[in-house]
Amino acid sequence: MIDKELEKLKDYKYGFTTEIENIKAPKGLNKEVIKFISNIKKEPEWMLQWRLKAFERLKHLKEPDWQKPKFSKINYQDIYYYSAPKSASEKLKSLDELDPKLLETYNKLGIPLQEQKRLNGIAVDAIFDSVSVATTFKDKLTEKGVIFCSMSEAIKKHPELVKKYLGSVIPVNDHYFATLNSAVFTDGSFVYIPENIRCPMELSTYFRINASETGQFERTLIIADKGSYVSYLEGCTAPMRDENQLHAANVELIALDNAEIKYSTVQNWYPGDKNGKGGIYNFVTKRGLCKGKNSKISWTQVETGSAITWKYPSCILQGDNSIGEFYSIAITNNYQKADTGTKMIHIGKNTKSKIISKGISAGYADNTYRGLVNIFPKAKNARNFTQCDSLLIGNKCGAHTVPYIKNRNSESKIEHEATTSKINEDQLYYCQQRGLNTEDAISLIVNGFCKEVLQQLPMEFAVEAQKLVGISLEGSVG
Amino acid sequence: MLEIKNLKASIENKEILKGLNLNIKAGEVHAIMGPNASGKSTLSNILSGKKGYEISGEVRFENNNLLKLGIEERAHKGIFLAFQYPLEIPGVNTNNFLKTSLNAIKKARGEKELDAIEFLKLVKKKSSDLKIEEKILNRHLNVGFSGGEKKKNEILQMSILNPKLSILDETDSGLDIDALRIVSEGVNTLRGSKNSFLIITHYQRLLNYIKPDYVHVLKNGKIIKTGNFELALELENKGYENFL
Amino acid sequence: MTLELKNNIEKMFKEKKLPSENIEFRKKQIDIFLTKGFPNKKIEEWKYSDLDHIIKQNISNLNFELKLTGDFNYNNSEILNDFEHNKIIYVNGKIKNFDFPFEERENIEINYNQDFKTSKNSINSLINLNNALTFNYSKIRILKNYNFKKPLVIYHFGTKDINSSVINFRSDFVLEENSSLCVINIFKNHSKNNFININQQYKISKNANLKNYRIDSELNSGINYFFTNIDLENNSNSETFIYSAGSKFFRNEINCNLNDKYSSAFISGIINLNESQHHEIKTNINHLSENTKSYQLIKSVLNDSSKGVFQGKIFVDHKAQKTDGYQLSKSLLLDKDAEFDAKPELEIYADDVKCSHGSTSGNLDENSIFYLMSRGLSYKQSKKLLVDGFLNDAIEKITNQDVKKYIKKLMKI
Repeated sequence: MIDKELEKLKDYKYGFTTEIENIKAPKGLNKEVIKFISNIKKEPEWMLQWRLKAFERLKHLKEPDWQKPKFSKINYQDIYYYSAPKSASEKLKSLDELDPKLLETYNKLGIPLQEQKRLNGIAVDAIFDSVSVATTFKDKLTEKGVIFCSMSEAIKKHPELVKKYLGSVIPVNDHYFATLNSAVFTDGSFVYIPENIRCPMELSTYFRINASETGQFERTLIIADKGSYVSYLEGCTAPMRDENQLHAANVELIALDNAEIKYSTVQNWYPGDKNGKGGIYNFVTKRGLCKGKNSKISWTQVETGSAITWKYPSCILQGDNSIGEFYSIAITNNYQKADTGTKMIHIGKNTKSKIISKGISAGYADNTYRGLVNIFPKAKNARNFTQCDSLLIGNKCGAHTVPYIKNRNSESKIEHEATTSKINEDQLYYCQQRGLNTEDAISLIVNGFCKEVLQQLPMEFAVEAQKLVGISLEGSVG
Repeated sequence: MLEIKNLKASIENKEILKGLNLNIKAGEVHAIMGPNASGKSTLSNILSGKKGYEISGEVRFENNNLLKLGIEERAHKGIFLAFQYPLEIPGVNTNNFLKTSLNAIKKARGEKELDAIEFLKLVKKKSSDLKIEEKILNRHLNVGFSGGEKKKNEILQMSILNPKLSILDETDSGLDIDALRIVSEGVNTLRGSKNSFLIITHYQRLLNYIKPDYVHVLKNGKIIKTGNFELALELENKGYENFL
Repeated sequence: MTLELKNNIEKMFKEKKLPSENIEFRKKQIDIFLTKGFPNKKIEEWKYSDLDHIIKQNISNLNFELKLTGDFNYNNSEILNDFEHNKIIYVNGKIKNFDFPFEERENIEINYNQDFKTSKNSINSLINLNNALTFNYSKIRILKNYNFKKPLVIYHFGTKDINSSVINFRSDFVLEENSSLCVINIFKNHSKNNFININQQYKISKNANLKNYRIDSELNSGINYFFTNIDLENNSNSETFIYSAGSKFFRNEINCNLNDKYSSAFISGIINLNESQHHEIKTNINHLSENTKSYQLIKSVLNDSSKGVFQGKIFVDHKAQKTDGYQLSKSLLLDKDAEFDAKPELEIYADDVKCSHGSTSGNLDENSIFYLMSRGLSYKQSKKLLVDGFLNDAIEKITNQDVKKYIKKLMKI
């Protein structure tokens, strides 16, 4: 059974392309394109000005270059910054009006958008290239006062919230890719959970890059008001293409007093072929602000896709007693590269953070954990625990651990542990003696190795992620 | 069922087995006794296919050239090794492991795989037969298990996988009397006209519970004497030093 | 740094009547240094210790040319009488004395001509500076099968005669096959506000054994950079212990290249600071061949507004299968303004390896203090007991009993 499934998924099962008519902005990055984006989205003037401010700032910035995976120069003038299915330009009255081709695409990806087909009760926002094409279960959420819509819609309908929080965690003048996103972001999800509301279902965004020569620049903003709770999931796929496509998203989370946000990612962008040709450059800025006291932000990520993954979902622990968590699995195979980790910035008193990172490297891949734990002088009684484990499969790949630890408060405590090893051959022997073939045995052991992270994921994502772990490592043992 | 002819094995240029012959027929229980470093564990490793040995000689298992088969292929053919030191595999649920293992073997034999419910039924029955607490099956594989729990877990796996030839590599070492009883019950329940056993041990203790059909004495990589259960008693009385 | 400075330095080269190729080499090196300047925090490796800033803050009118005249004297009472030893004495960076009374001199070769061939290693601008301005050079070769009978203590005296100067010097050591040496660098600096830039190179041949200790224990205003490169061949071993406590600023940087099979490198260290001291230990352990081993243990105790830094890197080449690399850094922050920064790093390209690192940072365990006080100890006594216990692990790694005893005496343990 497993074999047949593996065979079917051999390469990259999401690698298909949807033939669909698009509206695109002219190629290139300039004021006119930004105006085009703002205009087609019928944005208010303040939004356009915000974008232009970012664009001005961008002119003075350079791409950062300290990361381990190097990449060939990106020609920012050779990218389409906006591409949307033509059918999505009209406002839909209901999901039934959605272009059947889009529906079919999401069905193929295993994300049926029709609510009646969704038994698991997860509300989905589907982002196709530059725009949100559908958001499900809106009515049910509205009952509770939960706002879950596309970013474009939020800018029009909830300008006061957007104005207040957009850029409050990732300012317009941040690093190069974040600023690029601020200038040209096209869509994304917006979530607001009102005071003392526990969001009645999991919220999820599904990102799909379809068009070629197109970058995806989505922006997500999640605000959990006092005493509220939300669990949010994102998934992503892209067609197989020879070119490298840029995905530079910004995600901002804000948790007010006693609020909790759980943010899970299963990242499966196209990783490139076996020889390292093509694949997504996944350069994402994710930052959460624990603004209120007793707030909590928890990031969980399973990173198996992309040619290069370069991201550090971070927590700024500003509120007293706030908690930040980061659980990560990064798997690189063939020529994939990852440089990922987190930053835990302890500002408030009694703040706690926990980092669990599992890196697996196979083939010719390079996998780096990079992370910062920074305890500010006033962060009395702060605590951090970090555990980074790396597993190497084969001797052509690399695994690196680069933690930065800064402690400026004598009443705080930081613990960091890291190990690097290969798959234990005796464990492999034991599994094989019980009848498992080598690949299944490796998949089993690696899944065990990742357990602590996998169990953070909501149920159905965990199952998906477990399969992905096995698939991603296929062909890693000769 | 198992025919070993003139088996020689060395590791890092050190010869450990020096021409071993052994014949096990279906339904027989053989015990191999020997002092430390006589080659007992090497024999069990070679039969189950552990890599790293230079091997010559012939080993046939039900008309297959065993030495040519991979580790998991041997398992599929019905060879089970109860490890002297069962491995700990963190994060891997014992139940899930067992199910994957059982279904891999069933699949290789062209039998119908068990679904979750059938499997759980089977596990429930086997563990209650052996009086093994089911809760250890929900823990990570052998992680944090006591020595006795690990060995009991091996025997439970054996009874669930129902192998044709079970090799018990010093399964009795370090066991208290209750655990010893569970191990021997596991063997005795499985014992029948089709299932054979190769019990490797240092002491005669376990053999009081599992009466073997044959007892072999292994010394310096060779079987130096073969007899029945009486031989084990003689060995226990005289000690390896004074024997022969 | 100005053109005038450059001209002055070049003039000095001429005055010293150096051979022309020597001048050419030095000119190139000083050019590189002047272009790059002192390392600053924008350079990743100097992120936690902005030397450029530290020098600017502590030394005004830094003097590069070192037109030092006069015969500087050290105080004889500062020579250790704890154990018998051979001596090399530097006073203000000038070689004063080589004294090997316990050794067979035919088994030791000393050469004072700088070997430029081995000067290619240039990981930062300070090495260039050292290459350009070192006029006190020595190379000590220990011949095959010779084991030093007593430790060699290298005294680094600084006298009140100098201030605001850059002092560069370098010593190289070659341990031939089956030889062994125990070197102890001891710092006794009474000078004011100098930047001392030391480069030591060790080549450890097959089966040879180096013990390498360095002790900076007395409070002083020196700004120090001490670079050490250790090349290890087949089955050779180096043991390093660092006691870093005296100077205003000290960065010990140690490179160990495990070039051949079965070589091993051990580093243990203590950073023990008060007031506004700032010390860093930076290690690079390069596993370049199979079956090599490294072990590092760094303990830091930080009082007042001092700052301790540990940056340690374990690099494993794809050839270096069966590497065993371990690193642990623990620190105690005893006052609210103290700071500890760490960057323990693993860069691994081989799969059959066992590598791990750990780092902790925090205060003394309140429960332990409570326990000790409940047994009648004062707070101060309890604290000292716990701190000593904390540091003891690192001291216990010292395998030379005389040195271990001496360190314990210094620390009043």
